[in-house]
Amino acid sequence: MALEDYAGDMNMCCRCSACKFIPLQMVKGFKHANVCPSISRYNFHFFSAGGRLNLGVAGLEKGFNYTPWYLSSLYNCQQCGACDVSCKYGMDMEVLLPIQELRIKAVEDGHAHPALAKVVERMAKTGSMVPMEGAGRGDWAQGLGLKDANQEKVEVLYHVGCLTSFDEGFRQLAQATAQILTAAGVDFGILGQAETCCGGRAYEMGHKQDFLTQAQKSLEQIKATGAKTLVTSCAECYQAYKVLYDRFGLRDDHELKVLHITELMADLLSQGKLQPKKTLDLCVTYHDPCHLGRLGEPWIHWQGKKVPGDRFIFDPPKPYRRGGGGVYEPPRQVLHSLPGVVLTEMDRIKEYAWCAGSCGGVIDSNPEFAQWTAEQRLEEAKCTGADAIVSASPWAEKLLKTAAGNGQCHLGIYDVVELVAQAI
Amino acid sequence: MALSKERFQAFADVVGEENICDDPTMMAAYFRTDFAAVIMPKDPSEVQAVVRLCNKFQLKFRPICTGWTGTFQPGSILLDLRRMNQIIEINEKNMYAVVEPYVTSAQLQAELFKRGLNTNMKGAGAQCSAMLRGHGHLDQSCGADDRNHLAVEWVTPTGELVKMGSWGAVGEWFCGDGPGPSLRSLVSSVVPPSTTPGVFTKVAMKLYHWPGPDKYALEGHSPRYTLREFPSNMMARYYSFPTLEKMWQAEIAIGEAEIALELMGFNAAMVAANITTCNEEEMAMFERLSKEVQGPGFFVIIAGDSPEDFAYKKKVLETIIAENDGQSLKTVEDPELEGILLTQCTRISASVRETFRPGGCFKSIPIMGQRDLTIRWAIGAGQAKLPLIEKGLIADDGGGFFGWGVEHGHLGKTEIFCKFSALNPVAWEEVTKWHREQSQRALEEKYFALTMAPEEEIETKIGPALSNYHVWWNKVLEALDPNGVVPDKGMSWLL
Repeated sequence: MALEDYAGDMNMCCRCSACKFIPLQMVKGFKHANVCPSISRYNFHFFSAGGRLNLGVAGLEKGFNYTPWYLSSLYNCQQCGACDVSCKYGMDMEVLLPIQELRIKAVEDGHAHPALAKVVERMAKTGSMVPMEGAGRGDWAQGLGLKDANQEKVEVLYHVGCLTSFDEGFRQLAQATAQILTAAGVDFGILGQAETCCGGRAYEMGHKQDFLTQAQKSLEQIKATGAKTLVTSCAECYQAYKVLYDRFGLRDDHELKVLHITELMADLLSQGKLQPKKTLDLCVTYHDPCHLGRLGEPWIHWQGKKVPGDRFIFDPPKPYRRGGGGVYEPPRQVLHSLPGVVLTEMDRIKEYAWCAGSCGGVIDSNPEFAQWTAEQRLEEAKCTGADAIVSASPWAEKLLKTAAGNGQCHLGIYDVVELVAQAI
Repeated sequence: MALSKERFQAFADVVGEENICDDPTMMAAYFRTDFAAVIMPKDPSEVQAVVRLCNKFQLKFRPICTGWTGTFQPGSILLDLRRMNQIIEINEKNMYAVVEPYVTSAQLQAELFKRGLNTNMKGAGAQCSAMLRGHGHLDQSCGADDRNHLAVEWVTPTGELVKMGSWGAVGEWFCGDGPGPSLRSLVSSVVPPSTTPGVFTKVAMKLYHWPGPDKYALEGHSPRYTLREFPSNMMARYYSFPTLEKMWQAEIAIGEAEIALELMGFNAAMVAANITTCNEEEMAMFERLSKEVQGPGFFVIIAGDSPEDFAYKKKVLETIIAENDGQSLKTVEDPELEGILLTQCTRISASVRETFRPGGCFKSIPIMGQRDLTIRWAIGAGQAKLPLIEKGLIADDGGGFFGWGVEHGHLGKTEIFCKFSALNPVAWEEVTKWHREQSQRALEEKYFALTMAPEEEIETKIGPALSNYHVWWNKVLEALDPNGVVPDKGMSWLL
């Protein structure tokens, strides 16, 4: 659907400002009531979902004018979807989708963000979202004796992702994932050098066509392995394969099941195939990555027409994605299963979790804003009294670590996978 | 309509360039109005400096807090008070909280619950400013309107900082009237212009006892949060009555007995809106509830300070209901739905689902007055909605209206909505016509004078009906605003 198709949704905005806050019943005090990093950092209403929707309405009526302020509003948004959840507590309307369309339109109109255009160009050229720095994709697996899914038939394909493959600090995450899958006796393999980017981040950056081209490449490789299940330890990749590929008709569950590693680990733990033994003695708090949580809610295919009359309703009725269908319990089940690990929750969790800052290309287009967003999350984590903040997204972990480095933060920062690998 | 370079720089020197925007493209984000600029001051001294510049340049200005709604003039300056967002003080002993404009009711209430205190949640919703003057679900036990404003700090239209009440006299916030300057009449108008010209920078809000938990134990996901456990000292019920007279008598009796935390004269459509998560579910629920109710009704929450207090309140409530042939709605007795209504009404104040969800737009006639009189008017206004419902121009609520007594009294709020599609010009026209006709009827049949009206009607109709108060008001405004920087004769909003 194009921006024009969301005109009705955008006109539904009543400017109530609910999009700026967590669902109001969940406000637990003066602190941590905000949910949108963009408006929280930049304050003008046009940095909120409501403001952007109004700009969309005006643009459709009078034409789009790509001024510096407008572009700033457009690109200083993580597209984390928190606004969408908060609005849909009370309203029946799309919020995030038209905001994404505004960015896609800007790119189509020749107003791509220069930093993001470079990232997408690199992806198209190298198949990686991050600089490869002379390393090979499968270098992390050297000496581990893992199955090469290009050569051998496997039940499960482990998709590693760009950041985990190429960032030196994250290769151990891939190794830990492989260690866990091996320990649980999962028949899995990797694509190694042949793996390529899922393309999901290009979509969020507004480069829809580049995403679709990259997705085709990635899917062809995956299909060629014959694996029926794809598992990934990257929340962004999970959301791309699970939601975006389905949304654009590239994949269905019968053909290729997509799991995040936390879902698979929770399953393996419940079956007794994974048995954590070592006591870790750690009080942790869990950060719900946006792409695994609210943005990871399965896509709902629907087509319908607005029913004429007083209400914004459709025939057949439109089932809205409201954020509740994301992956929230599996990572928590995994943490609860680890001996000595105590989980304490932050104020903003699950569908109304505060973004860690990296989404929507902001980590590339405005690193200062991305880091500020992560700092807010660390501050919230500290309020719980936990020793560590645990996540399930290398992108979130990377940014949290950067933010912690600058702020003398005492918190440990881990991926769920790392803790499980330590415990088994 | 951007500012000249010189003017832009003068404002930017006060607030910093990152806190002023005069890009005409971006003004559409704010109320779809062509403002000259949006400016975000961070404290009262910056507000004063900006206001003085508005006077110097003869630019009209209007402030907003969370900025839900309002009327705005193209070419004016919008003061977005978003950066003034601190709770200055919660005084538990003297039961008041001092807030800046961008503290939301949700934030303040969450802090108060921890201290066994509460604030009135205004009908505009918990996302709106805690300093908003207005009414809401908790009017029965938490006062309402300007009665909840204690001392106020106010920047006048010329940029003077006025500390009202005890804040001006002794540096304490406990009282809005003397021994310092008592300007309550300027800040408390309930007839047009409704609110005060200038900018409130801090307000002390009166607080009330909260007998509920320090936080609700909620589970589930948005949009359906449910209570893990219903508080043992609370109960929420919807009662319907065979006649309006019996409903009214029960409402009076409950008020006089001072037993209700909340009494909200919801119609069935509003109950349906609040307990459902989408339009389709709401319409089906409305149909179900319409068959279940025996007539008009209200929603009640009682809460006890002890098991004995709770038992007493429950017994009194049941006696009053029985004496007036009331019936409890079985649907609301379902513990899950009872919990949803309890938390929705006490925490959110329930506005968006029941107003904007249907079509994104609503028009309302809200009135404060003697309840039995305003109810009589509302019956007619509700009947006048029926043809619009039949034509499919407004959402079907059975011609319903709603209202409630304030502070356990006979005086209260009565209100009636028309909810319709923002994109339907015919609906807009017809609803506007309904609005005018029913407002006119209120005046002609001596029910009340409308509290919201176009400027010309203030001079020609409402003023003359209310002792020509507008003549006095115009003189006050002339003195307060010699340079004419207040738009619309002072009608400004605190949402």
